[in-house]
Formats: sequence, C-alpha cells, structure tokens
Amino acid sequence: MDGQSNPREAKGNGMEPTDLIGAYRRMQTIRMFEERLHDEIKTGEIPGFTHLYCGQEAAAVGVCDHLSVDDYIVSTHRGHGHCIAKGCDVKAMMKEIYGRADGLCKGRGGSMHIADLSVGMLGANGIVGAGAPQAVGAAIAAKLNGKGRIGLAFSGDGACNQGTTFEALNLAVVLKVPAVFVFENNHYSEHTGVAYAVGTSGDIASRAEAFGMKAWRANGSDYFDTYKVMGELLDYVRAGNGPAAIELDTERFYGHFEGDPQRYRGPGELDRIRTERDALVSFRTRVVEAQILGSTELDSVDSEVAQLIEEAVAEARAAPPPDPASVTDDVYVEY
Amino acid sequence: MARLKPFTMPKWGIEMSEGTIAEWLVQENAPFAKGALLTLIETDKITNEVEAEADGRFVRILAKEGEAYPVGALLAVLSDGEATGDEIDALIAGFRQADTSFTGDDEGGATPPAVQTAPAPPPPAIPDGLAISPAARERLVSAGLDPNAIAGSGRDGRITAQDVDQAARPAVDTALVGAFPPTPDSKVFASPMARRLSMIHSVSLEGLSGTGPRGRVRKVDVLAEVSRTKPAPPPAQAAVAQPAPAAASGVEVIPMSSMRKTIAKRLAESKSTIPHFYVRRRVRADRLLALRAAVQGQRPSVNDYLIKAAALALMEVPQVNIQVHGNAIHRFEHADIAVAVATEKGLLTPIITSADRMSVADISAAMAGLAQRARSNRLKPEEISGGSFSLSNLGGFGVEQFDAIINPPQGAILAVGTARPEPIADEGAFRIVPVFHLSLSCDHRAIDGADAGKFMQALANLIEAPELLD
Amino acid sequence: MAVMNIREAINATLHSEMERDSDIILLGEDVVGGAGTAGGQESIGGIWGTSGGLFAKFGPDRVLDTPISESAIIGAAAGAALAGKRPVAELMFADFIGVSLDQLWNQMGKFRYMFGGKTKCPAVVRMIYGAGMNAAAQHSQSVYSLMTAMPGLKIVLPTTPADAKGLLTEALRGDDPVMFFEHKALYGVKGEVPDGEHRQRFGEARMVREGGDVTIVTCGRMVNFSEKACDKLAGDGIGVDLIDLRTTSPLDEEAILDSVEMTGRLVVVDESPPRCSLASDIAATVAAKAFTSLKAPPIMVTAPHTPVPFARELERAWLPSPQKIEDAVRQVLGFR
Repeated sequence: MDGQSNPREAKGNGMEPTDLIGAYRRMQTIRMFEERLHDEIKTGEIPGFTHLYCGQEAAAVGVCDHLSVDDYIVSTHRGHGHCIAKGCDVKAMMKEIYGRADGLCKGRGGSMHIADLSVGMLGANGIVGAGAPQAVGAAIAAKLNGKGRIGLAFSGDGACNQGTTFEALNLAVVLKVPAVFVFENNHYSEHTGVAYAVGTSGDIASRAEAFGMKAWRANGSDYFDTYKVMGELLDYVRAGNGPAAIELDTERFYGHFEGDPQRYRGPGELDRIRTERDALVSFRTRVVEAQILGSTELDSVDSEVAQLIEEAVAEARAAPPPDPASVTDDVYVEY
Repeated sequence: MARLKPFTMPKWGIEMSEGTIAEWLVQENAPFAKGALLTLIETDKITNEVEAEADGRFVRILAKEGEAYPVGALLAVLSDGEATGDEIDALIAGFRQADTSFTGDDEGGATPPAVQTAPAPPPPAIPDGLAISPAARERLVSAGLDPNAIAGSGRDGRITAQDVDQAARPAVDTALVGAFPPTPDSKVFASPMARRLSMIHSVSLEGLSGTGPRGRVRKVDVLAEVSRTKPAPPPAQAAVAQPAPAAASGVEVIPMSSMRKTIAKRLAESKSTIPHFYVRRRVRADRLLALRAAVQGQRPSVNDYLIKAAALALMEVPQVNIQVHGNAIHRFEHADIAVAVATEKGLLTPIITSADRMSVADISAAMAGLAQRARSNRLKPEEISGGSFSLSNLGGFGVEQFDAIINPPQGAILAVGTARPEPIADEGAFRIVPVFHLSLSCDHRAIDGADAGKFMQALANLIEAPELLD
Repeated sequence: MAVMNIREAINATLHSEMERDSDIILLGEDVVGGAGTAGGQESIGGIWGTSGGLFAKFGPDRVLDTPISESAIIGAAAGAALAGKRPVAELMFADFIGVSLDQLWNQMGKFRYMFGGKTKCPAVVRMIYGAGMNAAAQHSQSVYSLMTAMPGLKIVLPTTPADAKGLLTEALRGDDPVMFFEHKALYGVKGEVPDGEHRQRFGEARMVREGGDVTIVTCGRMVNFSEKACDKLAGDGIGVDLIDLRTTSPLDEEAILDSVEMTGRLVVVDESPPRCSLASDIAATVAAKAFTSLKAPPIMVTAPHTPVPFARELERAWLPSPQKIEDAVRQVLGFR
C-alpha cells in the first residue's frame, strides 16, 4: 500500500490547521484512552472483558472526520475508537466501561455495547458481523430522509467472513442505498490470521467488488491517506451511486481482548508495527515537517488529552454504581 | 522521584480467577529492559510469561513463588528508578484491590425483602388504583387487613387472592423431616427414589427389571420387589358370604360363625327397630392432613384424630353421647368411643374409654393395641362392651361416603369416608382441598335433628381447626 | 480415579474419543488458534483451553479452525453428520446460536423427523454459556431454556468433571444431535473422574443432596449455588432433595415427581429469564402431575425478564444466588 498522501493535499481538500489539530486530538484521545484502559484493566477493577482499538486510530478518525452527527455508524466489539471519533462523550464512555450508573448506557452495556444516538452512533456490538445489515437499514432511512446522509458499518476482517455481512453487501447493491462498508483489516480475526481466514488471500476489497459495488483501499494507519480516499468514496456515495466499500489496512497494537497472551504474534512483531505503523507518530512527523503545525501545539494537545483521560478515570472510579433495583428498567419502552 | 506502579495478577481470559507464580525471573531491585521476562504465571489453562512493558525494576516483590493469587492482586511494585521504602509502603498501603470475583459465587444478590404483614388496628381503606385482583379485594375487605402491609406477588406488585390468604392465615410452624444420608450411587439404571427405597428396604437393585423408559428401575419396581420378598400382613377385610338357600354349582357354602351370627342378629334388630335418621356434612380435611404430615416419628392415623375430634364434639353436645335403654336415656360423662375394626372373622368394635381425656398419641397407641388384639382374637370382654358412640371409617378402602347402622344400645354412629380432593368455596374463591364426607346415623327416639346438627358443627369445627385436638 | 477439573476432563475425553473413533472431527473458531499467523497453529490451544493438543495429535483434517462464521460452522457440522461423520462443533459463546439458529433449529433438530426416521445427525455442539463475569448482554446468556424447547435436540449441562466425561462420551457415542453446554465459571471445578470408559446416560438426574422437606430442581452452575444454600439450610434442620437434571432434554420427570410427591414443596432454580423457561416448564409439570402432593405453590428462582446487564452491581442483582435460593426454600416452607 503506498498510502503516503501529502498533508498539503489533505489541506487542499478543505483541511485547515484547526481541523488537523482536531484530528490529532481525536486520535490522541483514542490512544490515551486505550493505553490507560490497558493499565487500569490490570487492577481488575473494570468488569468484563475489553477489546482495545489502539493502533487503528487513523481509520476511525480518518473516516468519521467526513461524517456529521446525522450520518449513522454501526461499530464492533472493538468500538471505543469509533465512539470517540464520532463524538461520544469520553467521560461518559469511561464511566460506562467502569459500569457506573451515569455511564453512557447506565452501566448496562459496558465496553462492548456503547451507543449514543445523539451523535449518530448506533452501537458497538458483541456479535461479529451483526453491524453490516444494520448499516444497510440506516442507509435506507438516510435515503428516505433525503438529506444526503449515509449509513456506515465498521467491520473487521473477521466480520467479512460472516454470512450476515455477505447478505448486507448484496442487499445494499440491490437496494442501491447510501451504505458504506468500512473493513478495517488488522490482520487478525481474534486469534487467527487473515491470510488463513479470508479465502481471497486476505483481500477484502475485491470481495466487496464481487458483490457489485465500487471498492477502495487505503492505509488505515495513515490519517491522510484514509481521509483522502474516504473523501472520494463519500463523494461517490452521496451522489446517489449506491453503496461502496473500503478496506483499510491497519494494525492492532494489543491482543484480541485485554489479557490475551498473544502467543500467535511473531518475535518482535509488536515492536515492529509500533515503530513502523504508528498513526500518531507519522501524523506528527509529517505535519511538523510540512510546517503546518508546530510541536508545541501538538504537545499542548497531548497534555490536554492526558488531563482529560486522567479526569475521566478519576471521575469514573468515584462515580456511583447503578442501583441494583434498576436492573429491570429499560427492557421495553412501555410494558 | 521514581514513578511507582502496581504489578498485579493479570487476567488472561474471562474465566480466569487466579494464577500461581511459578517463578520470578528477575530479582528485587535488579533493573530490566523492556521485553525482559519478569515472571512465569500458571493458570488452570496455561502457563505464560509476563514481559516487561517498559524499562524498570521491581522495588518490592510481594508474591511468593508457588502460591496462588486472585486476579488483580498486588504481586510486586514496579518502578522506573530507585525508590524509598516510604514511597513503596505508601503505594502498597494505598493499593485498592478490586472485587474481581465471579458474580454470585459468594453470598450474591439477596432476594428483595418482602414487606412483612403486621396487624394494623383500623383496617385502612383500599387506595384507589391499588393493583389487586377482584377476589383479593373481596377477601381483603372481609378479613379487615391493611392492603399496604401485603406484598403483592403479581406483575408489578399486584395483590392476588393468594397473597391475601397468606397474610390472613397464621404462620405455620412446619415440622421438618431434615436431611437424609446420601444414597450411594449405583451402576444400575434407576431413578433416585428407587435407589433410596432400595436402601431403606435393603433390596438389591441388581437384577431388578425396570419398567421405566429404556428399562429404568422405578419406585414401583422396588416396591414390588419389597412386597414379593417380604409378604404384607394378611388382608383385614371380612369375607362376605352370599346367603345361598342351596348349594348351586360354583358356590361355596360357608356356615356362619357364632360371631357372625351375633353381628347379624344385632344389626338386623338395630336397623329394623331403631328409627334411624342421617345427617351428612362435608368437612375440609387439608389442615388436619397437614398437621398429621408434620408429625415427626410415629404418626397417628387419620382415624385417631377423628376419634379425638368426635370425643371432644360429644363433650360439647352431650345429647349425642348416650345409650338408649327402653324408656331411659343414659347420658355419659366421658366419651367412650367404639371403633369399628374389620377382622377376618367379622366386625368388632373395641372401645376407647374416655377418649376426650386422651391425647391423639395416646389414642393412637391404644387403638394399635386394640386393633391388634381384635385381629388376633384376644380382646377382653370389657374392651368390647359398653361405649357411648361409634365410629366407622372406610376411607382406607377409598369409600367416599356411606351410612352406618347404629350399634345398640348406643344412640349414634359416625361414618367417615376417604378424604377426596374437591372444590370448596373458600372466602369467595374455589379451592381444591381434600374433603371428608361425614354421615351421622342417629336414633330418633333419643336424639333430635338439631342435636345431630350441633354435633356435626362442633365436629367440623374441630377437624377444620385441628390444632384444637391436642 | 484421577482428580481433574472440568476443562481437563473435556479435553481428555476429546482426546480419548477421537483416538477411539476416527470419524470424530472438531471444528470451530480458534479451536486450534493461530492459523495463518507467525506464532503458528495451536499457539493458544483453543480460547477456553479445552482443545489443547488435539491439532498436534489428529492434524488439520480432523481438527479444523474456521473463520468467524457460526452459521457455516453449525451447518457444516450438520452436513458432516448426515454424511456419516461425528462432528464436534464449538460455539465460542452460546449466545452465538443467534447467528446459527437456522442450522440448529430448522436443520439439525428436524432432519430425522422430516426425513421419516431414515437419517441420523450425530453432531455435538459444544457451547460456552452463563453469566457472572460481566461479559454483558451478548456473551453471558443461558440459552438452554430456548434450546430445550426445540424438538430433536438433546440438551446436556455437566456440572462435575465426572459428568463432563460421562455426558460428553455419551454424546459422542449416541446418534442424535446434542447441545453440550459448558459454563464459563465451572471450568475450574475439580473432582474425581472415573478411569477408562465412563458413560452417563441422558435423562438420568443426579441426586446431589437428599432430604425430606423441599425439592430443588436445577441444572448447570445453579447446582453449585443450590448446594451452598442447602448447606446453610441443613444447619437449621431443613433437608433438601437437590436434583441436578444433567440433561434438560430428555428430562428426568420421574426423579422430580417422586421427590415432590414426598416433600410436597418445590423450588426451581434456573439461570435463564423466567418466561417460557426451564423453570416454568418444571413448575408446570409438577403442578399438572403432582398437584395433590403440593403443600405450597412452586417457587421459581430465576433471572428477571431482562437481558444480562454489565455492571457488577446489576449482574449480581440479576443472577440467582445462594441467598436467593435459601430465601425461596424458607418461603416455600412458610406457606400457610
């Protein structure tokens, strides 16, 4: 994947320095949020199990920077990055992950089930492959609403092998709806390699093309490349040409879930991907070299984000747990 | 100042609850580089190495090799440089280990406390909009209970008739049977109850042919084996001979024994000379049966309770506790109750003297002795003569109801059938409970209908409130 | 008798049965793990640790790692079983029956009946179930109640290592499709396991405790909870017949009715929500067939009619507990 777009090109696409600072802030928020969870999970205080998005920040932010709150996304079990990129409240997310009463989903859903309809985030999902058909539904709604909005599914390379995903791809083509299928290929379906599990030699974009839709490829570990290619894709979809797909090549810096001993990794693999494919490092290097942003500006973003995460954890730890009597609330709207 | 971090037991997989430190691979205070192997941890699933995530050192190692620690437990203190003892102690003191146990393994969530019912002086009005069933409302009003003191068991706390019944009834003190020693397992394919019975009756399950699905040995199979190997006592029923003028073929002629002749003569005389009238009544039996079921150890028979109930009712209505001798009525001070006992030779009516003064357990013991002597033909004359009242119970044969012939010179006899489940009206609702059908035969020369009715009422009250019997 | 935990008992049984019968194959997501990675296959040995060593011993033709494709996994097991093999399919979480339900319910469970008794489908579907680990609404469910309602499937829930071996062996020797439920929280439970061949018939409940006052009918992890409640109740002289159903289909109705006819009091404990559940099924059976023996209405201790919540406090309130079971026993004894 060549994927090394010029930041000035991105700027030419309408990106002003403030937007770039915003993009950096969002990526850094995801990074620090996840790094901090990695530490906090070890204390055992956070219930359940958690799948970290670290390493894939450029994918979520490069995609969602094109979306408004009226565009719909559906996410996966590895969904924290999508939530942050789409604008979910970081402190409320942290509280949710800690299982607190004022978490984003009142402590009922946890890490795998974060949703916030007010920003067009239709939900993370514990079932691999469940999201793509829902994005088709959201696209049907968006088409009916007639405001040029879209329905977008984030799926992993694992989900691209589910029948539900195949059905969704075909249905979107048949209905010619503004659905976007973003396949983040991080090379692992849980603990199995993509080279084994995806029968097209790991190629997901060509599979989407075989369903009759246009598909793009981009470097999902590079913000500028992802942003640029997504721009083209969305121009195409928003023009009423029907669905489209994109395969983003990226990396998962941690295991499938927190606690995964990751014995399937090769020697030095984690060091290599962290050195060669860190979206934050490459972003910083390039905007500083191109003199679009200065190190000091970025450093101050870093410390602001660090402060935000520090507060989010402290507030989440101090937040009250849900009232056990509320366990039967919210099963129905009316019953 | 060095930056200190807790080093805790990792959670590898959602079902991991603890791990054992197999080995520390670094020494306390020895610096290590990122990627160095720090420790080996064993779980019941895997043994895995823990690598250093950054350069540093353990300034304090707390966990011992070979010992198991729960997930999240503090194993050591990590530092990026040298640290003072105070700093380390402060971190250890401030470390808060989270609850990482599996939900419910320990005490777990408790049942939400039910609102306890308490007697409230003036029964408050039923609030408008209270979720309550129509039958429950009716019962609530008639029982004068406080609706606020009743925890509804229906959807959204709706009060059901059963809830009101429960609040209205006195608490029961359930007699407990307790735990049994476990029945040893057996390779034989048998139901749990079959295993238990085979132990109780010392019958081997081996070789029994099961009548259950796929040849499973069932309760009935064990009981059949028990009755085969340990014959039951001879049937207590009296043989009834058809009077036959001549011996037709296929008919056996049995001459009447002298005892039979006496029975025949007395009952014929009774039925033809005494003006019988009959008073019948249904009485709910559930409480009496429950009281009896709760008895530990030797349980009195249902009949023993009925003897006691009849005796007390006779004390309340002495007009029935009589013998009729010509133009004189002999009213008895105590209830001497003749109880019909079937023997091989025929009906005998041994007498429980002063049953009103005996406990049910005493009655039970006395009856057992009398019945045994009756069947072995060893009753003393005084044990079968006299009596102020008779009781005949054919419930053991499944008879639902019958009328008895008065045993002269007594004035009345009570006939009792089996307790059969039947619907009864219970505070406005139908309940299905075991019910006795009682029939009192009275000598109208000495006893009037009102007396009989009073007696039956007293008797019914006692049977329905059986705690009064003891 | 060797002492091992349920995880090890399942692994050992898969080893010995696959050695005995070359028609047995194993397939599922990450049952080997590490396929197509630098670490190589069997680098993890199955995420639950139940399939360790099988790939090394039996090779890639009999131990098949699959993509994340639950519908295809179960469908392939159904087809392989129709074609004469004995597949063991693993659903990493029982909740994933949602994805594969057609193959379980409309296919596997119905083949024999639809095809006039001419076929058999000896597939075993191992599925990992149960709450208590804050795995939230889509990774915690006890779907055995749903599946018990499906004719044609046998539903098996081992609670001891000996039963894990006996029931899994029976599943692999039998000719019907078997849903084999493994509770996440029970994998570490240790116990003696008979050496050599050990088969445990289906439809034969286990009497865990014996006593004359109350009957508790339950299955799965709730057996464990009920034992704790029984131990406390025994201190007050309350004796409980505690019945571990072992299999909910076929159901050992006889063991239940025999016991209730003696005790007259029933508590059913079920980890699934109450409506149309195992608990309601047992309560209805007893009400219909042992009505005259009952001294009190049956009590069901179940989860509420809600999905499984995430937060510790909520999940704790959601799950039945030893305390809730103890309370129910006292309540059924106090009926007046």
